[in-house]
Amino acid sequence: MIRAWFAKLLILALALTGLQAQGPRPDAKAFGALPVLHNGRVKPLDTVGRSTLLMIRGKQTVRHEGQTLTANTWMLDLMFNPELADKYQVFMINDADVVAMLGKRPDEQRFFSLKDLEPKLSEIMEQSEKAHQVENAVRDRFQRAISSLGEKITAYQRLKNSLQVEDTTDLRMELSAFGTALSEGSKAFQAQQAGQKFDQGAMDRVMPFIQRYQFIAGAASFAFLPPAKGGSDHDWVNVGNSLLESAKTGAPHPSVLPLAEASHAWKQGDKAAFDKATAALQGILKERLPAQTFSKASLEVTFNALEPFYKSTLLYLVAFLMYCFSWIMYEKPLQKAAWWVMLGTLALHTFGMVTRMYLEGRPPVTNLYSSAVFIGWFAVLLAVPFERYSKRGFAALGGCVVGAATLVIAQSLTGSGDTMGVMVAVLDSNFWLATHVTTITIGYSATFLAGLLAHIYILRGLLSSSFTKEEAGVLVKSAYGVICFALFFSFVGTVLGGIWADQSWGRFWGWDPKENGALLIVLWNALILHARWAGMIRDRGLMIMAIVGGIITSLSWFGVNMLGIGLHSYGFMDQAFYALVGFAALELLMIGLACLPPHIWRSKIIPLSKN
Amino acid sequence: MANTTWKTYLKPLASLQLTIVLLALLMGLVVACTLAQVNLGIFRAVEVYMRSFLVWWGPASATWEIPVFPGGALVGGALLINLTAAMFVRLEASWRKGGLWLSHIGLIVLFLGEFVAGGFQVETMMPVEVGQTMNYAESNRHAELVFIEDGATEDTVYSIAPSRVVEGGLIQDAALPASVNIVEYHRNSKVMTAPVLAAKSRANAGFGQQVVAQAADPAPSEEQNIPSAYVELKSSKGVNLGTWLLSTALEPQPIDIDGKPYRVALRQWRNYMPFSLTLKEFRHDKYAGTEIAKNFASLVRLTDPETKEDRDVLIYMNHPLRYRGRTFFQASFGKGDTLSIFQVVENPGWQIPYWACVIVSLGLAWYFIARMLPARRSA
Repeated sequence: MIRAWFAKLLILALALTGLQAQGPRPDAKAFGALPVLHNGRVKPLDTVGRSTLLMIRGKQTVRHEGQTLTANTWMLDLMFNPELADKYQVFMINDADVVAMLGKRPDEQRFFSLKDLEPKLSEIMEQSEKAHQVENAVRDRFQRAISSLGEKITAYQRLKNSLQVEDTTDLRMELSAFGTALSEGSKAFQAQQAGQKFDQGAMDRVMPFIQRYQFIAGAASFAFLPPAKGGSDHDWVNVGNSLLESAKTGAPHPSVLPLAEASHAWKQGDKAAFDKATAALQGILKERLPAQTFSKASLEVTFNALEPFYKSTLLYLVAFLMYCFSWIMYEKPLQKAAWWVMLGTLALHTFGMVTRMYLEGRPPVTNLYSSAVFIGWFAVLLAVPFERYSKRGFAALGGCVVGAATLVIAQSLTGSGDTMGVMVAVLDSNFWLATHVTTITIGYSATFLAGLLAHIYILRGLLSSSFTKEEAGVLVKSAYGVICFALFFSFVGTVLGGIWADQSWGRFWGWDPKENGALLIVLWNALILHARWAGMIRDRGLMIMAIVGGIITSLSWFGVNMLGIGLHSYGFMDQAFYALVGFAALELLMIGLACLPPHIWRSKIIPLSKN
Repeated sequence: MANTTWKTYLKPLASLQLTIVLLALLMGLVVACTLAQVNLGIFRAVEVYMRSFLVWWGPASATWEIPVFPGGALVGGALLINLTAAMFVRLEASWRKGGLWLSHIGLIVLFLGEFVAGGFQVETMMPVEVGQTMNYAESNRHAELVFIEDGATEDTVYSIAPSRVVEGGLIQDAALPASVNIVEYHRNSKVMTAPVLAAKSRANAGFGQQVVAQAADPAPSEEQNIPSAYVELKSSKGVNLGTWLLSTALEPQPIDIDGKPYRVALRQWRNYMPFSLTLKEFRHDKYAGTEIAKNFASLVRLTDPETKEDRDVLIYMNHPLRYRGRTFFQASFGKGDTLSIFQVVENPGWQIPYWACVIVSLGLAWYFIARMLPARRSA
């Protein structure tokens, strides 16, 4: 039943994306749907191609001679027709100094092919190696850029040499030659062992093959050949290792021959032969893997093609614009439409997140990427009841902005490849990921939403004479409620983190930077509420402090990762640093605007005498 | 009447303005402590900003320092007083405020829990090789001074506790084979052969005749310190045994005391347990086809002669063994996956944060829900 449903979804996805491809090209999509083992997880080849391309080019498609190639087509060209693929301009280089190294100006060219890089390749790799010796946190801009380019080239070359050695002309011929050499070689070897006359040349002819397969055994970025029925993930094997193994046993893995067919057919552009080989590979996988592995892989392909988060970003922006216009004209109908757009987008966003959770078998937040997806999702979810209660579009607009912004952030965090990576040992605890990480992230969501409400208050208060005291009151009440909510969740999340730490290394509180970041959010929210209770701040003060809360949360979310210390720092992000500084500057500007004297405010929501 | 009097005194202590100032100061400290970790390391940064009453500052080259900011202990203590005072003065006893009462009580419990942990928590390490049985854990933060009397089957160890191993310490105890006068003690030191440091050792017996210890700055984390001491030893019969250099960097040194052979050493403090653990198996699982660790697990045999406890226990990530007041965590491993290292923590108050968390959460939830309900009705 479910399989049938998946199949239908798959067909739908194929139909949607199939529109782009023209002519009877071999079916790259079907090949991409084959499950492989990559970075510790069984996933469709499609994901390997997309994440590698995303890492080196920043996009999931390639432009070549006026045509747009999908990630699957690019990957197949790279593996089976590398001479052609090496001409695709897939290396995105943004650093002016690195571009200059290649003899270009940054405004001339941003994308380079391996052919373009070739004359300077050894110099690039040498410089990259040198930059790698420098500790991550102290690398300068050039060192970061060149080491990143080095990593991209390595990933590219490894993918290229995953299924066959890149200089292979015809894998079928090569394998048959290998078979012949092997049988002659082993005859000679047996003769030698028995002390009889033997053919040294026959033994020597095996060596070049062995060297080739040793090379791809080490280079391969994924394991292509599935284990026997009932085997575990550890029994997947890459093509190189399998061929070396078959040199001993004499029996090649059953997938190797169809693979060779596919390789040849792809290079020749022979659709019938390629599709037949793909079907054969698929048949072997279906026979050997549990049905669930296969259905998960199909679902992942659909998920990849659907790009739910990308589409959600656009739809949130549409809803946002509709709310903005609703305050100028057609208030009621526009708001109603926007409300439904937002709910529909929330459903799509939820679908994407739940699919990820199912594929990973994990709670929603496992890394920075998924924290961004979740923060946006929860902010929108939180905005729904507040919007139902206040019905002015404020909470919904705030939710849409946080939703879209965090999804854009998530998008920019995909640079390192697959976003569904495996968890290192200490984090491998679904219980704590579900409790501590989720609660603390909910705290982030709420703090951001409160900040967003403050923006609406300030901008509308400053610019719109139609903004009434009553509307302002609704906003303030909502923001206050959201801050209470944020305090609760950030406190509980922080303490749960302490308890996790106590469980895993016996220390409740260690003043680790990420812990400190969480503590700062708790303290700040507590401070806002106490200041309010003490009468030290009123409406405007509350709103200004809510904006500061947003800055603190963003610093806690990303800033501490940039310090490169402590148990929570999972990677240095250079571009994120400038984005963070920019965000903080914008927010400070907003605070500056909020501090303008009341007579400048076009609305009359602030009493002229005091605060 | 008397009631009003103490309330008048408590009032300033309970002020909300004070709470806000303290919260802001604490935030400042947390930020400073976090940033300082880049240069100082976590341990030192926490010492300077959090476990201090005042934060001191002086120009890098100068020898003087002035206090520039209240430290974490001062701000935390003041917050605790403020919080407690507030409960008596400001908070009226009502259902509506019940949530606030609870959450403040929970916070006080949380603070006290940290105080208990700070004062009583003992952290030690226990490296065990596969097949080995251990009945003690070692502290790499404390050093003890020991005389070891080698026996046929078991050694007898005379130990001087870390708290007594301080400069100027004079330890005379009839139970010890010799009296000890610690003439020089360094928390961290460089220990090298005399010519390398171009200095003369104070010692006139043992390894110290060839080796010198020089004071060094404390390491970023206490574990990296190498404590050393120059000690004058006198046998119980009053024979002067000379001045010895003892250090955790040196092996135990043979010494003859009143005709009996001993070995003397400064070593990592050993915390003996009334039970033992035997490492039967250590597992280091990786994700398929990668070098990424998926799990570390130690299968140990727990043997306790007193309680007759004798069973297998699996200690793995996020699943420590708690037994007789000690908690054993899988901390590290080595020697090609044949050595497992446990962190052993004794903290009598380990449950306090759990209770505090429950109390505060209930309190906050109570308060916020109580606030929201009437608001919704009036809308």
